[in-house]
Amino acid sequence: MNITLRVFLVVSALAVLYFVVRKIRKSKFEASDSIFWLFFIALLVVLAAFPRISYGLASILGFESPSNFIFLCVIAILMIRIFSLTAKVSLMRTKLDSLVQEVALDRNERARRGQDAID
Amino acid sequence: MKLLVIIPAYNEQDCIVQTVEELRQTAPQYDYVVINDGSKDATKRLCIEHGFNLIDLPVNIGLTGGFQAGMKYALRNGYDAAVQFDADGQHMPAYIEKLAAEMESTGADIVIGSRFVTEKKSTSMRMIGSRLISAITKLTTGASISDPTSGMRLYNRKMIECFSSKSDFGPEPDSIAYLARKGAVVREVQVSMRERQAGESYLTFTRSIEYMMRTCISILFVQWFRS
Repeated sequence: MNITLRVFLVVSALAVLYFVVRKIRKSKFEASDSIFWLFFIALLVVLAAFPRISYGLASILGFESPSNFIFLCVIAILMIRIFSLTAKVSLMRTKLDSLVQEVALDRNERARRGQDAID
Repeated sequence: MKLLVIIPAYNEQDCIVQTVEELRQTAPQYDYVVINDGSKDATKRLCIEHGFNLIDLPVNIGLTGGFQAGMKYALRNGYDAAVQFDADGQHMPAYIEKLAAEMESTGADIVIGSRFVTEKKSTSMRMIGSRLISAITKLTTGASISDPTSGMRLYNRKMIECFSSKSDFGPEPDSIAYLARKGAVVREVQVSMRERQAGESYLTFTRSIEYMMRTCISILFVQWFRS
C-alpha cells in the first residue's frame, strides 16, 4: 500500500468530515446519520495510519493487494448503507401515504358535515 | 348491500364529470367517492363545482395509496362492499349491479368484471401480458382468473379491511394473487368495456414493460414472503 493511497484516504476523510460538520451546522443531519459518517471517517483514517491492518487482512482473505481489500471494504459499507436507506425510504413512504390519506379523509368528512348542516 | 364506488382520478379533467354523471344516472342506488390523487389539472375544481363527493389528496401518492384512501373511507363509513371504478370512462356503471349480484349469490370475496369469461382474448401485446399474468397466478395460487388486469373489481368487507391495513397493497393483479393464495374466493362475471373516453393512457411501452416486470416479480417472489 503506497503512500499516495494513504494520503488519499486521509484527504478523503478530512473532506467527508468537512461536509458532515457543514450539514450538522445547518441542522440538515440527524445525530444518528452523523454517527455512521464519523465511523466511516475513523475507518479511513485507521486504514491509512496502520497499513499493516490491510496487509494482514488482505493476506488472510487472499487478496492480491491491500488496496483491493480497502476498496472492497468501502464498497461493502456503502452497500449496507444503501440497503438501510432503501428500507428507510420505504418506511417514510408508508408514513407519508397514511398522513396524506388522513388529511384528505378528514377534509372530506368536514365538507360532508358542512353540507349536512346546510341541508 | 351497502356498496361504495371508488373512483381514483389523476389528471382526468376530460372525463371525470361525464364518468360520475353517468354513474349517478345509471346506478343512483350506490354511493360513490372520487379520489383526486393530487392532479395537476382541473380535476379537483371540476369535482367541487359539480358537488361530487371528493377525497382530495393534497399531493400525488399513486394509485395504491389513492385507492387505499377510498378503502379507508369505505371501512369507516360502514360499507359492506367497494368497487374500484376507472375515471376514464372505460367501465360501464350498468355492470356494477351484476358484480354485486354475483357477490351476494356466491359469497365471493372478490368479484372481477372480466372481459374474457365468455369472450375470447385477442393476441395483441397487451393480451399476451394478460395471459402471462393469468398463467403465473394459476401456477402460484391455483386460481383461474381470465382477466387479471381488469380494473373493475368488487371487494367485500373482509377485503376492504385488508386493503385498508396493508401498506404497498394496490388494486393490482399481484394483490389479487396474494389474496387468492390466502384463501379469498375470487369470481368473475362477463362485462364489456369501452375505450377510454378521453385523456392519455398511462401505459406507454416502457411503462408496460415495467408494469409486467413488477407484477410478475411481485406474484412470483414478493407475495410469498409478505405477511
